[in-house]
Amino acid sequence: MTTTTPTAPPPQESPTPLHEPRGVSRAEGWRRRGPLLPALVFAIVVTQIPFLFTLYYSTQSWNLVRPGSREFNGLDNYVDVFRDSQFREVAVNTVIMIGGTVIISVVLGLLLALLLDRQFRGRGIVRTLLITPFLVTPVAGALIWKTTMFDPVFGLINYVLSPFGVGEIDWVSRYPLAAVMTNLVWQWTPFMMLLILAGLQSMPKDIAEAARVDGAGPVKLFRELTLPHLRRFIELGTVLGAIYLVNTFDAVYMMTSGGPGVASSNLPYYIYQRAFLGFDVGQAAAMGVITVIATIAVSTLALRLIFKSFSGTEEAA
Amino acid sequence: MSTTTTTRPETVDETVRPRRRTQGIGWSALAWIVGIGFFFPVLWMVITGFKQEADAYTDPPTVFFTPTLDQFREVLDSGIGTTLLNSVFATTVSTLLVLLLGIPAAFALSLRPVRKTKDVLFFFISTKMLPVVAAIVPLYVIVGDIGLLDNIWALVILYTAMNLPIAVWMMRSFFLEVPSELLEAASMDGASLWTSVREVILPLVSPGIAATALICVIFSWNEFFFAVNLTAVQAQTIPVFLVGFITGQGLYWAQLSAAATLSALPVVLAGWVAQNKLVRGLSFGAIK
Amino acid sequence: MAEIAYKKASCAYAGADKLAVDSLDLDIMDGEFVVLVGPSGSGKSTALRMLAGLEEIDGGSIEIGGKNVVGVPSKDRDIAMVFQNYALYPNKTVGENMGFALKMRGVPTEERTRRVAEAAKILDLTDFLDRKPGKLSGGQRQRVAMGRAIVREPRVFCMDEPLSNLDAKLRVQTRTQIAALQRRLGTTTVYVTHDQVEAMTMGDRVAVLRDGKLQQFSTPTDLYDHPVNAFVAGFIGSPAMNLMTVPVVADGVRLGGSVLPLERDELAALASAGVDTVTIGLRPEQIGIETEPGSDGFAARVDLIEELGSESYLYAHLDDADVKGLDGDAASLVARSATRAPARIGDSIGLTRLDGPIHLFHPETGDRIEA
Repeated sequence: MTTTTPTAPPPQESPTPLHEPRGVSRAEGWRRRGPLLPALVFAIVVTQIPFLFTLYYSTQSWNLVRPGSREFNGLDNYVDVFRDSQFREVAVNTVIMIGGTVIISVVLGLLLALLLDRQFRGRGIVRTLLITPFLVTPVAGALIWKTTMFDPVFGLINYVLSPFGVGEIDWVSRYPLAAVMTNLVWQWTPFMMLLILAGLQSMPKDIAEAARVDGAGPVKLFRELTLPHLRRFIELGTVLGAIYLVNTFDAVYMMTSGGPGVASSNLPYYIYQRAFLGFDVGQAAAMGVITVIATIAVSTLALRLIFKSFSGTEEAA
Repeated sequence: MSTTTTTRPETVDETVRPRRRTQGIGWSALAWIVGIGFFFPVLWMVITGFKQEADAYTDPPTVFFTPTLDQFREVLDSGIGTTLLNSVFATTVSTLLVLLLGIPAAFALSLRPVRKTKDVLFFFISTKMLPVVAAIVPLYVIVGDIGLLDNIWALVILYTAMNLPIAVWMMRSFFLEVPSELLEAASMDGASLWTSVREVILPLVSPGIAATALICVIFSWNEFFFAVNLTAVQAQTIPVFLVGFITGQGLYWAQLSAAATLSALPVVLAGWVAQNKLVRGLSFGAIK
Repeated sequence: MAEIAYKKASCAYAGADKLAVDSLDLDIMDGEFVVLVGPSGSGKSTALRMLAGLEEIDGGSIEIGGKNVVGVPSKDRDIAMVFQNYALYPNKTVGENMGFALKMRGVPTEERTRRVAEAAKILDLTDFLDRKPGKLSGGQRQRVAMGRAIVREPRVFCMDEPLSNLDAKLRVQTRTQIAALQRRLGTTTVYVTHDQVEAMTMGDRVAVLRDGKLQQFSTPTDLYDHPVNAFVAGFIGSPAMNLMTVPVVADGVRLGGSVLPLERDELAALASAGVDTVTIGLRPEQIGIETEPGSDGFAARVDLIEELGSESYLYAHLDDADVKGLDGDAASLVARSATRAPARIGDSIGLTRLDGPIHLFHPETGDRIEA
């Protein structure tokens, strides 16, 4: 066993030259991006090209019923749309529909998740029952609500409420927006519940135990520990839910056809009406573009916020 | 120093029942009530499908009745065959395409991080944010020009594009869960990249992929807007079929209920059976 | 032959200017068991991973068997690695885990099974060959990780803190098993740990790293007896060596009010080093405890006593507040006693220097001042 004479390592001379700088070579970069390309290209082609056409159509005055009427009219369509008071009402409806549904279903989902976060007999069955609304075809769901629940004469809601002196209210005509939203909340609460439940179950137990030992009661625990932890999940649910809800069409189509008037119409349905029932392609396209711009603006803000909270500081778990 | 004697504690023979069980009964009951409440509309719909029309719309609602299969038979007789095939075709093929395109994309975005990963992800999500309504007219025109109107392939392509963003996002998070040590061990053991993927990564990620596939199936099967606008008779899918029942048949509630039940049945069953996978998939946000 | 040579090997942190490993020079002989030890952030794991091919060699080179392996992918280096968290393939059985590398090389099934069975016998894993890692205990998983490495019969074993996830008792047990195994197989092994006890007991030679730089590379006893700087002196040995920075006086060093005498050659070395303060180092076993009142020795007060059954350690601080430890606070010393309860907490005692070398280090650079 050789013993090396203990000498301190030689003092540092000029720093040793390094090889190529850290980082990926160009060829490797392309190799890495390769698998991504098919999906990316596909997405671009199928989604962006139609949108470009929409932009193009929005500058045409084109009514399918009047052939030969198609000609460039610049931004006239947009002006018409902005002057259209119904459009404004529909836009407001859309915001109410999305915002209201998201908020209510998140709150309900939170409550349900809290209920389900305990062990009890038949928990699995209850969860199965609760996720069903999300699985049911939205068209079928809307149909159920319109007929069996909300129908003025034969609907169950009126039947259940009749002991309380509620007469034969035609919910769908009287409160169209609320009726549609009820259906939507019914459909999306399970989604929120599942997300939040996942959040609850991923909460590290030892932090909660530490808090309890430190003297925090259940309310305090919820507010200081649980809610902050759930924030990510609630945000995710909100974003995803809103994305899907922007496109709500089935419920409006089935339950109210947007009516009465445009009381329960949302942007997708209104555009659909203009395009396929009114045959005014130009205006429909303009409305579509406006909707897209608005959606992008709002969601860019929201998503950047979300991404920050995701990839930002993780809680000490 | 004192000597301490240790004695074995006597075991007391007493059945000790955990106290918590009696305390939570109230909440459990509430959970059950809410669960049944949420499920009730669906339950009622299914039950109504078994009624005679006369029993279907009554005031007060009929609870006891003699069940019949007539409604279901009528629905099945009215040409559900091709529609069913169309839905199955559109759903399966588009889901397969999503996996085919999405898995490599998720892989590229996770295991071999590309510059600007966040931007690409954001772009994918943004494609979902475009209200599809905005593009429906050009889509109608383009699809018509290509000659794919009332052709199931149009739906296949659109459904793939519709589900791709969420699928990529979900699968990426599953890929990210694979510990990098495992990949290093595989590379030290001499496995090429492709072999590592096949032998190590895919088995680990397969539950996640199944969850993603399930989500795609749910959204594809239930999709209505594109189906109703871009198909007519030949490529009709189940949701469109259901709507056809309304406009064509007037107010036949029992039959409608039967049709609705049949429409929703496959996906509901799939969701129930693969429930854990579904929950896993939806909670992907929990991870990344 | 599997000698390993690190030749001014460097590795930079991704995206930073700092070097994780700075010009490392190590010559490892064939069949040797070398331990890389150091505090966290010292670069020891990175140095190991550079050898295994899991980190880029940004500067210098590493040679295995005389051949430069810069740019050579891991799978072509013929190195087997045992990971800290074992990295077992969760969906494969123990047998499949162990045979995976052989499968990758196209070794026929029969031979594969045979080699796996042999390794399993050595590691006492034969009963578990059909189980998946999820159904194994931590110690069993650790053995599977070792088995996976053994089966390959590589030129070099790399082990990255393989014992850190085991409980204390298992750790000691497995430590001896690994050392015995390596001796039996004769494979060159590079082993990383932060635990200096492991380093001292397992290594033929030990390399101490700090902030990416090599401090000393020598046998355990040599590191213990002749640490090359104050860091190594304080790192090797448990409890740590007592280190204090004190002024130099005519015939020794001043500890507060009294003088600790030094030998002539020690004083001469100090003179030629031209320092008027010096960091002295005394191991706990070189400090004697006088409990009789009025005895010789530096006055100190007992803070804590650790009874280990076979010996005890006494922690005391010198009464004289002028004497500072390396961290600037009042000097606290550890003395070893072969008896039980040498004193009680709060007692005033006297500390003396017993026979044996005193270590002298430059007060600023920390380098050893050789007598």
